[in-house]
Parts: sequence; C-alpha cells; structure tokens
Amino acid sequence: MYKGIGVSEGIGIGKALLIEEHSLEYTPKQVEDAAAEKTRFHDAVDVFCKNTQAQADTLRKSVGEKEAEIMLGHISIVQDPFLLGEVDKLIGEGQCAEAAFDSMCNMFIQIFSAADDDVTKQRAADVRDVRSGVLGILLGISEVKLSDAPAGTVICVKELTPSMIAEINKENISGILTETGSTTSHSAILARVLEIPAVMSVQDITKAAKNGDTVIVDGSKGTVIVSPDDEQLKCYNEKREKFMQEKKELEKFRGKPTASADGTVYELVCNIGKPDDAAKALEFDGEGVGLFRTEFLFMDKTSVPTEEEQFKEYKKAAMILSGRPLIIRTLDIGGDKDIPYLGLAKEENPFMGFRAIRYCLKNRDLFRIQLRAILRASAFGNVSIMFPLITCVEEVREGKALVEELKAELKAEGIAYDENIKVGIMTETAAAGIIADLLAKESDFFSIGTNDLTGYTMAADRGNSDVSYLYSALQPSVLRMIRSIITAAREHNIPVGMCGEAAADPMMIPLLISFGLTEFSVSAPSVLRVRKCISTWTKQKADEVADHVLSLATEKEVRDYLKTV
Amino acid sequence: MVSKVLTVPNAQGFHMRPASVFAGAMAKYPCNVFINFNGNKYNAKSTLNLIAACMKCGSEIELVCDGDQEEAALAEGAKMIEDGFGE
Repeated sequence: MYKGIGVSEGIGIGKALLIEEHSLEYTPKQVEDAAAEKTRFHDAVDVFCKNTQAQADTLRKSVGEKEAEIMLGHISIVQDPFLLGEVDKLIGEGQCAEAAFDSMCNMFIQIFSAADDDVTKQRAADVRDVRSGVLGILLGISEVKLSDAPAGTVICVKELTPSMIAEINKENISGILTETGSTTSHSAILARVLEIPAVMSVQDITKAAKNGDTVIVDGSKGTVIVSPDDEQLKCYNEKREKFMQEKKELEKFRGKPTASADGTVYELVCNIGKPDDAAKALEFDGEGVGLFRTEFLFMDKTSVPTEEEQFKEYKKAAMILSGRPLIIRTLDIGGDKDIPYLGLAKEENPFMGFRAIRYCLKNRDLFRIQLRAILRASAFGNVSIMFPLITCVEEVREGKALVEELKAELKAEGIAYDENIKVGIMTETAAAGIIADLLAKESDFFSIGTNDLTGYTMAADRGNSDVSYLYSALQPSVLRMIRSIITAAREHNIPVGMCGEAAADPMMIPLLISFGLTEFSVSAPSVLRVRKCISTWTKQKADEVADHVLSLATEKEVRDYLKTV
Repeated sequence: MVSKVLTVPNAQGFHMRPASVFAGAMAKYPCNVFINFNGNKYNAKSTLNLIAACMKCGSEIELVCDGDQEEAALAEGAKMIEDGFGE
C-alpha cells in the first residue's frame, strides 16, 4: 500500500498505464546562423500555441471555461515578452534554441519552486509543461497519445500536466497517480472537475507499478494498492460501488428544499471564509451563507483593511449569492493570531481575553469601518450582521447602537444600505447559553457556535491532547446548553441556527430537529448529505431520541445510544 | 513617467490568470511598464515575472509607466488591478 495526497475523491480500479517522460535530451550545440535558429524557435512557439489553443478548446467543451483558461495561461507563458527576449539574446550569443529555451524555463521553474506559497509553487509544473511542449516540437518528438488509452486505465506518471489532461478521454480513465503535485496543482483541479479519482505525490509510484498491473486508487483517503489480492479487490470494488451509490443518492437531493420527513422546512446554508467560497457554497447546493468569517481581510496585512477594501469583499459575496442570505460575522480575532498592526498583546489566556466583540467595542474606529462596509454591502443583497463571543446584554446593545449610528451617518451621506438589516449574535459562550432568554430579547437571531461553546462549557481545549477527550458536543452539559439556547430563541420568536461542526453531525441532527433549530450552516461539501439526513427524521422520532438522550448521564452513553438510532 | 500606488484586492492575488491578462494588456503599449513591490522591480509585460513576484491579496504595489502612451497604460493597468481582474 502506498500513500500520497488524495486530491480527487472516489475509488478507481484499473490497469496501470505508465507514461514515460519522453526523453527531451538534446546535445547543446553552438549555432552559426543565429537568425535561422531564432526563426526555428519562433516557429516552434507558434506550433505550440496552436496545439495549446486546440487543447483549450477541447477542455472548454469537455470540462469548462475556467479549466480551459489554464491552457490559455500556458500560451501567455510561452508568449511572455521577457522570456522570448532573453531566449533571442541567448540564441544571438550562439546557443541553440533548445538550450536557450531550456535554461530560461529552468530559471523560472526554480524561482517558482522556491516560493513560500503553495499556489505559486505549483506554477512550476505549468512552466515544465510549456518547456516539454516546446522542446518536444523543436526536437521533433511526438507527444504520447493519452487519448488512445484503453478503458479502465489508471494513469501513472511522474508529473501530470494540464496538457496531458486535455488529451484524456475521461470515460477511459479510472484513476490518476503521480509522484508530484498537490491539491492546488492545476492537474488536481482538473482531475476533480473531471471526477476522476486521483492521488498525487505518491513516492516512486512509476517504479512500483508496471504497465498492465492492476491498481486501486483511493482518491478520498490518498491510498494506492498495486497488484491487490482477491480480498482487497473485492473490498475496494464494494467501496467503489458504495461511493458511486451514495453520490447518486445525494444528487437526488440537489435543488430540493431542506425538509424533515413530516414537512418542516429548514434553512441549509454554508460557512465560508472568503467571498469566492460563496460560489462554492452554491455549487454544492447551499441555500446561502450562515457564517461569513471576516478574519481573512485582516490576516497577512500590514494595516487595517480600508472600508473600500472590506466593502468590495462583502459586496462580492452578497452579489454571488443573489439575494440568498449572507450572515457576516464581525471581526473575531485575538492574541492567538499574529496581527501586528492590531496591537494585540500576547496574553496568558487569549481565548478568555481581549478579542472579538470586546476588542471591537473598545476599538471603535476599526469597528466603525467594518460595520460601515457591511452596511454598504447590504444594499446589494440579503445581508445580516452577527457579533461573536457575546457574554452579556450590554455588548449587544452597544453593538446595535453603533449600527444605528452608522446607518444615520450613511443616510446623511446619501449612501445606500438595507434599512431592515438584521443584527444577531453568535451564542458560543457559557454566559450566552445561560442568559439566552435575555439575549433573545435584544437580538434578531442566534447562531450557535458549537465549536467554542463546547470548549468554554467543558473548560477544555480541543487542541490539548490531555483533555481533548472532554471536548464533545455530546456531553450532557453541552446538549443542555444547546437546548436551552434554542428554546429561548423559539420562545422569543427569533431564528436560531448552528454554524459549528455539530450542525453537520448525523448524530446531532435528530436532537437539533427536536430542540427546534431553524437553520443549519455547514461546510459546502456537507450540504447534500445533511439535507438527506434531515429528510429521514420526523419530529416525533426526533423527540423520542432527544428525550432519551437528555435522560442519560454520560457522553459515552449518549454516543453509544445515538450510534444505534 | 507616471505611477500609482495600488493594493491587490482579489483573494488569490496576482495568480496565473490575472498575471496573464494583465501582462497581455500592458504588452500592447509602447512604453515601459513595471511594478515595484517589496523593494523589487518587475516587468509588468511579463506573465512569468508577475507570477514570480508573489503579489498576494492586500499587497501594496506601485504601477509605473514610462514612455509613449504612459498615461493610457497607467489608467488601464490601474483599473484592472482595482477591479480585482473581475474576480
């Protein structure tokens, strides 16, 4: 069994087809006629561009516009005026086209490989692809015809390039294995879009597998088995069937309302960390966004993001969602993160320290900027404001008063905003749980942040291995906390959602239905699964389960019981 | 010579797509176009140089145009960046 990075989920079983790196060896030589050599080079570039354009067109038809753009990026690289200028210079000095182009490509491959962010690093693969393409043309070597691969092929290659993927006939490819690459490689992205299970960075897989070997590719777990025995084959065939079945089952729920078995409708939305994720939420059939974390705007910066900057991002998300709900959480950050310009001191106890709403209410200028930006964005969609880490009524009142002040300011400036914008709170502290009734009077909605709620209630840090066993939303204390929050919300007729991981947990779902949660905010890939789960429960059945659970005294009893329902 | 200081607004920064689009647009102009970032000077007509600059979201950069049609180049370039390359 070999391990790599699972970049495209699913199970693929097939026969290995090893793609050799066609030997692009050449003997560098001196050229006498530099002009002729330059012409030869530029002709090769033209052929490359034509071929690549054709690949882009194929990709556009077989996959999509965004994927086709990857090939257009290659054309842009090969037509890079700096690159071409330098190659011409080297040829002028007597180098042959192969050597000149090769050394310029290598320069950029090295620069990109040394970059500290993964996205830039992966672009080295694109330059390698362009290099191989042009060198192949200069040397008169024909490309390996991937389009001729027979059905049931598992491609094994050192590096899979976008141009290779463009040649693939997706029906024939059961899986993809490479020795390089990661989730952000263009080829990984393409494998996902083509829904071909793929595992990358499997060390020496091109030596471990031979042409014709049966190979099992588990793109979800990142494991590979070469020449499996009958047991393994049977097992994985079953896994594969199950995976395909589940996928098909889940697709039935696409476009359907989220409803319990007896017809109660819920809002099923997503948690996102940046505006582009809103598009992903829609892709996975989310009905909106229940939590838009705004910290990304403040990280990796040297100063506070301006109102314009923030407004642009909030507006973008709002517009992508076209009228679907977008709940924007105000800055939820503290001393645990390194943000020099915020002047956060290193605290003994950052999670019980000067962070989130506390920091914002004491740093009015910064808070005003964010709130103004959110208000302005509210003119472009269905936006709500949410305050994090609330522990007392004063915080909500102060926050809301500030919002009212800023609305008046914007009105006077003639800037549009949603007059009826809702302002709600995260209920994620023990305090909020206990005075939920008082807070419900002051808030337009609640969102239960079970991640922090569990930690604060159990006084246990999930990251501390000595106490992480205590960190569980199924602890009776946490369940009671959740129930009383939801009850308080319902009694005051305000919506109550959950944005912590528990919302997507099939063991929690019947409890949440019984307690009366109105909104589930989950990660995009969980949407269909959660919708399906909710559809299997009637209120009566959910109540029976919840009543029993609440009578139990220990987390283990709760867990063991929920496993059986 | 004209210049403007800008902040890279889009989430993925100057990744391959905006780099190619931007380089392609600037290549049309006869003047020199470059970007000052992090103490380095990058040829803005070169996709590869733009990617190598690793300009991420929030990076403060200076777009400089020098020569024929420098004003037009600066206007188009600045707008592309401010609009986040439509992302």
